Amino acid sequence: MITIFIVIAIVYLGVLVTFSLITRQKNKDSTSYFLAGSKVGSVLGIFTLAATLFSTFTMIGMPDFFRTHGVGSWIFLAFSDAAMVFGIISVGYYLRKKARRKDFRGLSGLMVQCYKNKFAGYITFVGAFIFLVPYVAIQIRGIAIFLNATFPQAMPIWGWAILIVLIVLIYSEVGGLKAIIYSDMLQGIILLLVISVIAYNCVSYFGNMENLFAKVEEVNEKLLSVPGPNGLFTTQFLIASLIAITMIPFTQPQVVTRIIIMKNYRSLFRMAIGLGIFALIIIFATLCIGMYGAVNYPDLDTAQFIHAVIITDQSNLVAAFAVLGLIAAALSTSDSQIFALGGELRSLLTGEDKKMLGITRVAIVFFAMVVFAFSLLASNELVLLARTSFTGTALMAPMIFTALFSTRKLKMVMPVFTLLSMLLFIGSLLNIIPNMVLGLRLDLMLMLLLALLGLFTYHFSPKGDLDSGKV
Amino acid sequence: MKSTKEKLWLLCCISAFLIIAFGLSPLALASDTFDPKLFGMPYVLWVSITLSILLILLTVLGTLVHPGSDNSTEE
Repeated sequence: MITIFIVIAIVYLGVLVTFSLITRQKNKDSTSYFLAGSKVGSVLGIFTLAATLFSTFTMIGMPDFFRTHGVGSWIFLAFSDAAMVFGIISVGYYLRKKARRKDFRGLSGLMVQCYKNKFAGYITFVGAFIFLVPYVAIQIRGIAIFLNATFPQAMPIWGWAILIVLIVLIYSEVGGLKAIIYSDMLQGIILLLVISVIAYNCVSYFGNMENLFAKVEEVNEKLLSVPGPNGLFTTQFLIASLIAITMIPFTQPQVVTRIIIMKNYRSLFRMAIGLGIFALIIIFATLCIGMYGAVNYPDLDTAQFIHAVIITDQSNLVAAFAVLGLIAAALSTSDSQIFALGGELRSLLTGEDKKMLGITRVAIVFFAMVVFAFSLLASNELVLLARTSFTGTALMAPMIFTALFSTRKLKMVMPVFTLLSMLLFIGSLLNIIPNMVLGLRLDLMLMLLLALLGLFTYHFSPKGDLDSGKV
Repeated sequence: MKSTKEKLWLLCCISAFLIIAFGLSPLALASDTFDPKLFGMPYVLWVSITLSILLILLTVLGTLVHPGSDNSTEE
């Protein structure tokens, strides 16, 4: 397996280098570097968005989540993703309209223009930074732990983590968003093929789906319903998760950028449909792998389970591609998010483009270092940490939606309350304040309160031309 | 007066809302319920898979009647 893996890894790295070098010549200014010329077609759009969204969290986290918490995981992610896809065509249209009118450079910059106040942009940037860094870090930690378990003699966990961060940095710094998009396409295809083959093998082991679920029922019946064996999937948890996941396309900068840079509405719509189909296939595959694990490896820890299911139980060829697929998944999500943070910073900077681009490139290296440091400290609960990241950025949704839809003069009330809500949410994560208030989950309550405030602001802001005036 | 496309789009949005509401209601999220099964899949799973597919189909329909669908070249 190792020989096959080394050969395909060299080919894969060669392709990444080629993408970087080809796109390097074309990145002469911030727009081409951060927005890839804004003419991405639907096929490329599907794979870049899918590769950005479906990552180590999906490939390692979701099979483990199905194995541990049962079929409710489908509602948690797949049902929420299907709702998200409908959201992309509904709200994505208005997001693009607003972004085109405002000469979009980043979500933070867009908020500055809409609220006519730099603090709105700073709050957006800080929110993205605080909640995306842990998310990227867990991708890197997840894959580093897995690689350490697979190749125990090669290097320690931190060694794998630094290697991944370096690869991400080099090709995204050199090639910009275009290089990332092309590599996302490659990574998306590998991810889809590998996970489908492994899922097929898992079902084949039992003969068919009916036998698979019959075996799961024998092992642990509670896996086949909600709230699951650990009582995780309560209605409140699933509602809050659905809201958080549905808001990803409008609150996480790496996804917002991919909606904006689509060639036209038709490309956007096709991309949304393709993404939905991609999501259902991938998550169904993780369901099969998770259920297989529930029967065969109910007591192993995450890394041991993933190692067993994608390496030990597969042929050498499939195992080698699976390891590459996992690395590709981690790379594609990490590069997009670290790079998006750079784009957000650039959208807040004013001055000569070349100079600001230089500053931003240095900042991207800084973001990568922070991510690396955090990856050494993060916990191994991939899916729950990812959900925390989604919830954190989702708290910005009412502020962003108010900016997108309102034609009135907006005051800073929404950004200020958004900041306050993010602080309260962080306080609950640190156990400083309770995470249940009056029988409601704090994250759900904050989302509802912000949504009500957003509606109030939308209707009662003083009339004025939002598109006139300067920041 | 709203055009037919706008009405259909509104209908899509209402349908999406209803599917989501149903998917998160006790009818779909029936605690510790396993039957009836479909292709061996437990009740909660096949219902939520069906609803997810319905949402994707609704998205396909939505792209045909969305206010921006006439404006494919836009910008």
